[in-house]
Amino acid sequence: MAKQQEFLSDLWEHFPDILEDFQEHVKNQFMATIPREELPSVVKYAVNRLGARFVISVGTDRREKTGDYTISYVLAFDEDKKFLVLQSHLPPNDLTIGSVTPDVPAANWSEREARDLVGIVPVGHPDPRRLILPDDFPNNIHPLRREYEYNERFPSEPENAYSWKTAPDGMTVVPLGPFYPTLEEPACFRLYLDGEKVVGSDYRGFYNHRAVEKLGDSELNYNQIPFVAQQICGICGQVHSVAYCQAVEDACGIKVPMRAKYIRSILLELERLHSHLLWVGLAGHIIGFDTVLMQLWRIREPVMWLMERVTGNRKHYSSNLIGGVRFDITPESADDIRMVLDKVEEEFKAVYDAVVIDTTLMARLKGVGILTTEDAKAHGVVGPTARGSNVAIDCRVDHPYAAYAELDVQKQVQDGCDNWARTVVRLLEIFESIRLVRKALNDMPGGEIMAKIDHPLPAERIGLCSVEAARGECHHYVLTGEENRPYRWRVRAPTYQNLQAVACMIQGEQLADVPISIGSYDPCFSCTERVEAVDVNTNQLRIYTKDELDEMCRRKTWK
Amino acid sequence: MIGELCKKMFGKSLWLFHTNCGACNGCDIEVIDVLTPYYDVERFGMRLVGSPRHADALVVSGSVTRQVAPALKRLYNATPDPKVVIAVGSCAVGGNIWFDTYNVLGGADKVIPVNVYIPGCPPRPEAIIYGAALALGIVPKKVAPRREQHLPPGFNLDEYLKEWQGEPVVTRS
Amino acid sequence: MFKAKLKEAVICLGAGRVTLPYPFEPSEVPPKFRGKIEFDSRKCIGCGGCANVCPPRCIVIEDMGEVARITFHLDRCIQCARCYEVCPENAIWPTEQFETATPDKSDLKSEMIIWMSSCQRCGRCFETDNAIDRFQSKRWRGRGPGRANKHGIFPTKPPIDFTTRKSLVRESEDKA
Repeated sequence: MAKQQEFLSDLWEHFPDILEDFQEHVKNQFMATIPREELPSVVKYAVNRLGARFVISVGTDRREKTGDYTISYVLAFDEDKKFLVLQSHLPPNDLTIGSVTPDVPAANWSEREARDLVGIVPVGHPDPRRLILPDDFPNNIHPLRREYEYNERFPSEPENAYSWKTAPDGMTVVPLGPFYPTLEEPACFRLYLDGEKVVGSDYRGFYNHRAVEKLGDSELNYNQIPFVAQQICGICGQVHSVAYCQAVEDACGIKVPMRAKYIRSILLELERLHSHLLWVGLAGHIIGFDTVLMQLWRIREPVMWLMERVTGNRKHYSSNLIGGVRFDITPESADDIRMVLDKVEEEFKAVYDAVVIDTTLMARLKGVGILTTEDAKAHGVVGPTARGSNVAIDCRVDHPYAAYAELDVQKQVQDGCDNWARTVVRLLEIFESIRLVRKALNDMPGGEIMAKIDHPLPAERIGLCSVEAARGECHHYVLTGEENRPYRWRVRAPTYQNLQAVACMIQGEQLADVPISIGSYDPCFSCTERVEAVDVNTNQLRIYTKDELDEMCRRKTWK
Repeated sequence: MIGELCKKMFGKSLWLFHTNCGACNGCDIEVIDVLTPYYDVERFGMRLVGSPRHADALVVSGSVTRQVAPALKRLYNATPDPKVVIAVGSCAVGGNIWFDTYNVLGGADKVIPVNVYIPGCPPRPEAIIYGAALALGIVPKKVAPRREQHLPPGFNLDEYLKEWQGEPVVTRS
Repeated sequence: MFKAKLKEAVICLGAGRVTLPYPFEPSEVPPKFRGKIEFDSRKCIGCGGCANVCPPRCIVIEDMGEVARITFHLDRCIQCARCYEVCPENAIWPTEQFETATPDKSDLKSEMIIWMSSCQRCGRCFETDNAIDRFQSKRWRGRGPGRANKHGIFPTKPPIDFTTRKSLVRESEDKA
């Protein structure tokens, strides 16, 4: 058995003699194979006693190779800067695992997803409803299993309709749609109201499930996947593509040239810059300051033009391949970047100075949307949402990737736990990003931008990579395979983890504060187009359109 | 010339209802970007409205997934005639990289009839303005299919294909 | 509070009018911009490197003995320019064209038919430095539905039988 690590010594003392296998497959990334009966208790102990953070769970169909399935729980030890994967083998005739969700709420959606897509049933899960697949999908088909082709047209079974949480007694529910009040589809958010106060909520999303993971392990090859990854999200494209590329590079031992790492870091920080500027504008729009929206998006536009000049596209930079980057940042491009940054910083400084002394804004945001530190840790929340609640995690420092080990990143942490704290974190991060890009441009070494890959990539290697997106930690898990493509590729976007904590944040809020509270998480806003509100006193169901909610939000500002 | 163009545009203002049918949000942000000061389509009378009942044009982004397809159909029916459907981005036009996966139908025209296609990933805001102008009939279109052949002189393609008995060997489709 | 509003007003008024003159004047694109893809059938050698790397699988090659039909489904092109990167003959490249809106989707489907002369073998010409790109993927040029060729660019058995082809080059030389 491999040498056991000090940060885990407490864990193995508590659970002696359960390790079937232990290896460090990549530096600072460990995998422990344990029996499936022990897996839930080990995960609970690690998260609740040792301070580990739940990242994702991955279910894999390994019947082609080993005749069974595996379930892997990825935990992050942020202070020790290490990842631990706890893996168990499951026999095909008994695909169950004890659910950890009752004690680790952060695992809620991951376990439901493993059930939907692979068929691994979490026994004892408090909410075993369908999560990812559409309502009319057949019950017993799990698309990520290897016997299904990625392009099969599965039949439609409309009787598997989604069921909302139990409503208060005597309620008749009229389903209302995500596009318009009278259409019959499940809405995105459903709130239970007492007058104007929120007493409960429910969420149904994932209507943009595009089967990216299935494409990655059955049809595309290693170098096509960075392009699929970048199209997963329009604002975090570079993040996904760097995370995937680095996971594969670490797994296969490919040395990426330092210059390529710096170029990746520069593009990542520029992406964070435009994303935060976009968010500040959007937050202003939600509260009712449309001038903030227009002015900030005006300030942001030169960054988009800059990216078009440097990379060829405003959003999907298409810059990464396994082994490096496709194009270089020439000295002219570097000067261009510096000029645009100077202009943006000067204009944004004026906005920042106006915003931080604006008492109307503070009155709307302070004390609203409270997410306590305990809740943030329990739900495994990441990014500015966590840092605004005094949870000091940032992947650039905790699990360095690209060139961040050389760049000295300052974590921006606030302890207000409310919307205002999250706003301040993002405002300060804009200045931090500008500083980091300038430093990276100055320190960037010369040399190659692409590693030479002379031999096929080895199979059966595992790689993990966490990248700090503008919204939080984006995590990719890759198990390499034969056939020039991964055997399993798992993607976890930051909003996936953060949205699970929305319910406890909006509990007890006024309805008019809900849009800005949800907005302060910076979700992809396709998730929050419509809100359903149920008044528990009168048993009436009312749908609020986005415009009506915005109006309500603004009226409160002017009161 | 500019005056005439302005008059034409002001005379046919479009109210747009934007819907996201499973997109990455890249095109959605570009659609909102055309309202910002640098591109400003509001000077042409185009604005986003909150309800399809008030809309003249339906702007669809995203490769339509199984989940949203029925809702999109009902949305189309809820919009009053005359209406224009604009598919923005490679996802809505052709389904992008995931056009044939198990959960994606592959473009807006698999569900509703589309009047104008604006490809690009994401299309530039100028390309979206151009597409809107095309929908209004103000500018001519600039793309056409190309069918080229590069064969030796004297080679008769039709005869060859008639004689050739085999099955074509096809790469990915 | 009033000070904040004053500052915000100054920002707005200070910016002035910034609206771009498009569509009344054309819009320039930067040199690296990746717009609509164009090809040149005179340069293409039918190696299929572009089809091998295209992520949305826009490029489809049909081998019919001596001719190959290459179809470009530009409706789902993501303009990544990978085809341009791997083409050994610079026969395909991204242009500056971004005004590609059309009411008719068939405008976005182009094709070319090229004659494959007898000295060419499928895949042999497609040489890159990168071992990942050299590998041909699932369903590539008829090598079975599920498994890529393990031997990369040197297949043990070519998919098309070249022995029965007429050699037009030799015939024309004889006639000359």
